[in-house]
Amino acid sequence: MMPKIQIMNKISTDRNSRIVMWTCFIISLLLVAFAYVDVGTISIGSNNYNLSLIRLNKAIAYTIAILGLQVVIGYTGQIALGQSFFFGTGAYISAWLIADHSWPFLLTLLIVVPSCFLVGMVLGLPALRIRGLYLALLTLGLAAVFPSIVKLDKLYTYTGGAGGKLTSNYKFVAPAWLPFDEVAQGLQKIPLLGDFFGDGPLSNREESRLWKFILFCVIAGICFWLIYNLIHSRPGRAMRAIRDNETSAAVSGINLAITKTLSFGVASALGGVGGAIYVAEVGIASPDDFSTLVAIYLIVGLVVGGVGTLPGAVIGGLIYALVPDWASSTQSISFVPQRWLQGPTGSLILGVLLIVLTLFMPGGIVTGWRRLKDRLTTRQSAAYQ
Amino acid sequence: MDLFLQRVFDALTNGSTYALIAVAMVLIFKATTLINFAQGEQAMLGAFVVLQLWNWGIPMWWAVTIGMVFSGILAAGLERVFIRKFDPADHLPLVIITLGLFLVLNAVAAIIWRFDPQSFPQLFPSGNAFTYNNVRLSWYSIFAFGSCVLVLFVLQTLLTKTKVGLAFRAVSSNLESSRLSGIKIGPTLQFGWALAAAAGTLGASIYAANPVLQIEPSMMLRALIFSVTAAALGGLDSLWGALIGGLTIGFVQSVVVQYIPFIPNEMSLSAAVVVLLIVLTLRPSGVLGTRAVERV
Repeated sequence: MMPKIQIMNKISTDRNSRIVMWTCFIISLLLVAFAYVDVGTISIGSNNYNLSLIRLNKAIAYTIAILGLQVVIGYTGQIALGQSFFFGTGAYISAWLIADHSWPFLLTLLIVVPSCFLVGMVLGLPALRIRGLYLALLTLGLAAVFPSIVKLDKLYTYTGGAGGKLTSNYKFVAPAWLPFDEVAQGLQKIPLLGDFFGDGPLSNREESRLWKFILFCVIAGICFWLIYNLIHSRPGRAMRAIRDNETSAAVSGINLAITKTLSFGVASALGGVGGAIYVAEVGIASPDDFSTLVAIYLIVGLVVGGVGTLPGAVIGGLIYALVPDWASSTQSISFVPQRWLQGPTGSLILGVLLIVLTLFMPGGIVTGWRRLKDRLTTRQSAAYQ
Repeated sequence: MDLFLQRVFDALTNGSTYALIAVAMVLIFKATTLINFAQGEQAMLGAFVVLQLWNWGIPMWWAVTIGMVFSGILAAGLERVFIRKFDPADHLPLVIITLGLFLVLNAVAAIIWRFDPQSFPQLFPSGNAFTYNNVRLSWYSIFAFGSCVLVLFVLQTLLTKTKVGLAFRAVSSNLESSRLSGIKIGPTLQFGWALAAAAGTLGASIYAANPVLQIEPSMMLRALIFSVTAAALGGLDSLWGALIGGLTIGFVQSVVVQYIPFIPNEMSLSAAVVVLLIVLTLRPSGVLGTRAVERV
């Protein structure tokens, strides 16, 4: 009996610590939001690094797209590289509905999710016959053709051609019942730290920015909750079985076709949601924002965060949103020649990260962190005994 | 009719350059059953080295030769450091590594040589070999096709007539047995990578020497998709399949797409991807490739 009780104890403390962790996370998220709503740059040396909510909102969009990749690559083991295709599809559908039919943003998600789900399932059908490297090839091709599809003359009225589709007619207005002003002024009264939270009541623009950030966070939270439940339920177990050994999964009675198409559908729906958020943040859907390079960067995010881990998507999203931007705003570091800072340094750093992590820390940052934590905690408990 | 002939000649030109990159892919696939997504970037880097050497005053064909040797050595090093430690049957880490190389090589080339397109020296005599009404067949097309066939012949002889080639074929047919019979696996695979990179560099140099094109760091992105499709179409483990695949893709791009009214011109890339989809779904081994047999 003893071991069982211990296990249960462990679970309950686990749950408590998890609740504490999540509360801390949400509070710090809100603090960051209030602190960076107006300024949003950190200075290191003579360089300014942008940490505004605009960057963070982009990070959320990428996070959700990478979450989709976690489902299809991380949990189902299908090497599908073309997430930018679905990212773009979601973005363009949302932009079209907002710009031409003046739908509100949240309502467009009701169209984006099912349509991306369907497109993903249909495009996933060949994956039932095509495996491994061949699938990687085909999906990369898919990502490569997306810009040329939206630039088609016949689709000009829907996509706006090479110039892109503007959605700036839609403004995010924070609902009146949210006590943004009160919270902001309350935070400003905190001694010592109050200076970080700006001065006086929030302007309309700041309020709408804050509202956008919180809204996107909630959407991301819902996505994570749904995916967490999915992978801990029957279809999720089936996906992992396929990843670990396709033949034995089929032998144990898993319907390969349905499970694989399902995972493709879910991944593309998430890509679509990410794209919709991206467009809502940027205000324009332009073809070059959804190129092959974006697909590869999303893979970088997936790998650096950790393949097959949910928190890895968050880290990946942040890295994708911040690293290239910060690399290009680094104007001078001593000992590094100018030439290496002005070119595509971000892309270089991301590529090096991708290679180094695959070589030395195959599970990405999240798995590395977990391993470190395990090692520390087991040592501690050993000392206890 | 004139227009048709002209388009066929265009197809020949494009197809030969795609075939050269596709040959590189095929060599690497034969050696390590891996599709090297960084192949196009390796070739691009090699072509930039050629350009740099030429700017320094080295005669053109010497520059090409040195560039090929350089990228061969580079590829052998890359294989040793990044590829060999992974299990060839586990595809995901290998795909990720080659994507990482793709980003790094592209960025390095852009940092060293900048993004601005530069004109590449003429490798072949300019002018037209043959003019009939409005149909022109340039010397460039003839030489591009000729060098493609020449490269294939050289590779074919190398693989069938020499000892290294025999070792290479043994490794690509059965890795375990060839290790047991005393073949040094590592250097053989490295040799395959070096050979592939050299062929790719030649391909990229010829591609960039096209009078209507210029050399820039992103030039191989489109060509990569076309070449990969060509390689898959011909069969990923067949050398001559790469030529057939390349010419077919060139034909689809320059002829078929032009004659189908509801496909706009700029859709040639999409047409290639559709071809890829059809081939992979209906006949994954391609036209000349060997069929994969799975053992449970």
